[in-house]
Amino acid sequence: MTRRDSHETVPYGEIDTTAISDRAPRGEIVLDVKGLTHWFGDVCVLDGVDLSMREGEVVGLIGPGGVGKSVLVKLCCGLLMPDAGEIHVLGQDLLALGDKQRQELRTRVGLVFQNYALFDFMTVGDNVAFPMRQRGQASEAEIAAKVQERLSEVDLPKVQHLMPNELSGGMKKRVGLARANINDPEFIFFDDPTAGLDPVTSSKIFNLVRRTQEQRNSTCLVISHDIDRMRPVCDRYVLLYDARVRFQGTEQDAMASSDPIVHEFFRKGVVGRT
Amino acid sequence: MKFLAMIGGVFLGAAETVGGITIVFSRIVRAMFPPRFDRDETWLNLYKVGVKSYPIVIMTAMFTGAIMVIQSGQYVKQTGATGLLGWGAGYAVLAEIGPVLIGLMFSGRVGANNTAELGTMKVTEQLDALRALAIDPINHLVVPRFLSMMVMLLLLTALGDLFALVGGALTSELILEVDYRVFFHGVFEGHLLDEYFTGLCKAASFGASISVISCFYGLNVSGGATGVGRAVNQCVVTSAIGIFVWDYLITYLAN
Repeated sequence: MTRRDSHETVPYGEIDTTAISDRAPRGEIVLDVKGLTHWFGDVCVLDGVDLSMREGEVVGLIGPGGVGKSVLVKLCCGLLMPDAGEIHVLGQDLLALGDKQRQELRTRVGLVFQNYALFDFMTVGDNVAFPMRQRGQASEAEIAAKVQERLSEVDLPKVQHLMPNELSGGMKKRVGLARANINDPEFIFFDDPTAGLDPVTSSKIFNLVRRTQEQRNSTCLVISHDIDRMRPVCDRYVLLYDARVRFQGTEQDAMASSDPIVHEFFRKGVVGRT
Repeated sequence: MKFLAMIGGVFLGAAETVGGITIVFSRIVRAMFPPRFDRDETWLNLYKVGVKSYPIVIMTAMFTGAIMVIQSGQYVKQTGATGLLGWGAGYAVLAEIGPVLIGLMFSGRVGANNTAELGTMKVTEQLDALRALAIDPINHLVVPRFLSMMVMLLLLTALGDLFALVGGALTSELILEVDYRVFFHGVFEGHLLDEYFTGLCKAASFGASISVISCFYGLNVSGGATGVGRAVNQCVVTSAIGIFVWDYLITYLAN
């Protein structure tokens, strides 16, 4: 069975179950995290975490609630500063960058927030347009066309005029995805994109993640507890446990592992929810 | 020992607040030279802060002028020195009471609202979203608010001073039966221009102080809805302290 070539053949909401292992070999390393350590007061959230990802790869970041998955993503986006370690994103040393260079790097990176983080004082259309408008490199007509395109991709072509509080949770997630995608980022972080959503909507969201990756060859790091629905999307997995990386590899590697904790996570299918 | 620890804690807390406010202020100044702030957001804030505040400022000012006249009214009547009524009320209103009361009103209405707005954005990760989208919250949100509050409190006080005098004149005419022309004659003959400009200088300082304090508390909210409520409360208290400290310093320097 070969992987489908175009997103058009996978209708919105349908999950492609083609084996991930059929994917082409990946490119150069675009995320390289070494010895990342972060403390919140007296609590060590991350303790010497190493993680690397190649261009075009989709990695599932799993682990029990409160283990530091979202913190790791925020550190990789430069929203938090680590206590120790190195972070290289798209070939740049994030921690050595000045404010301006960090801002420029962020234009190449997208982040979909767990709690949507849509600007509640703007319409949906303005939310999606906002990053592009702020860059000031496109006309209003170009912005409008791209907003329409991105909202159509997430199957929300007619909600531009609505305010975020008029949308359901699943719709907000999709708007967040459209906003994160508006500047065609090379790397997208998805912070639990299906948290609190029903199984059908979760499947749709994961389908969107995969489509996004296929269309733009973006590299994606996806946090989720829902391994069953991550399977068609992720090339490999990283398990965070007790502030450390407990496992990195494919599902086959996980099943071959002798570590009972790794087994437990993958056998259960759905990782313990927060 | 516990008492000493408590006093030490209070000083550390105060130092942390003053340090944090200074850092926010220095980042605002850095964003203004050369200008890197959002102009659309500045216009929007000028409208929100200024146009929407003028009714309450006019009301506060008119009552302030009226109260000043009533307070001095009985002495003026007793002594028959009606010519001093305009000067006395004008002096108190223009140099002191007008800017301070309008500043306190402004801090309750605009400063508290600003803290709540930024605080809510913080707890709902909207500030993180801005940063993730390569937009600096200081340039986009804080500097426009700083400029708007400083400019608008200055203009609102200039407007409020005039209405305070109108309130005083009306009260003198209707309650004390002192002709309003006598009242205004006292104001103009009193050469209160220095007091007027001192008051405006205070207003601009109050506006800057309220904006920096409210932004500091808004940007540093933690703990959800309870945290936002606590931050608003702290903002109102600290802004009031800031107003009195600036009032003291400017009054001292002007005299």
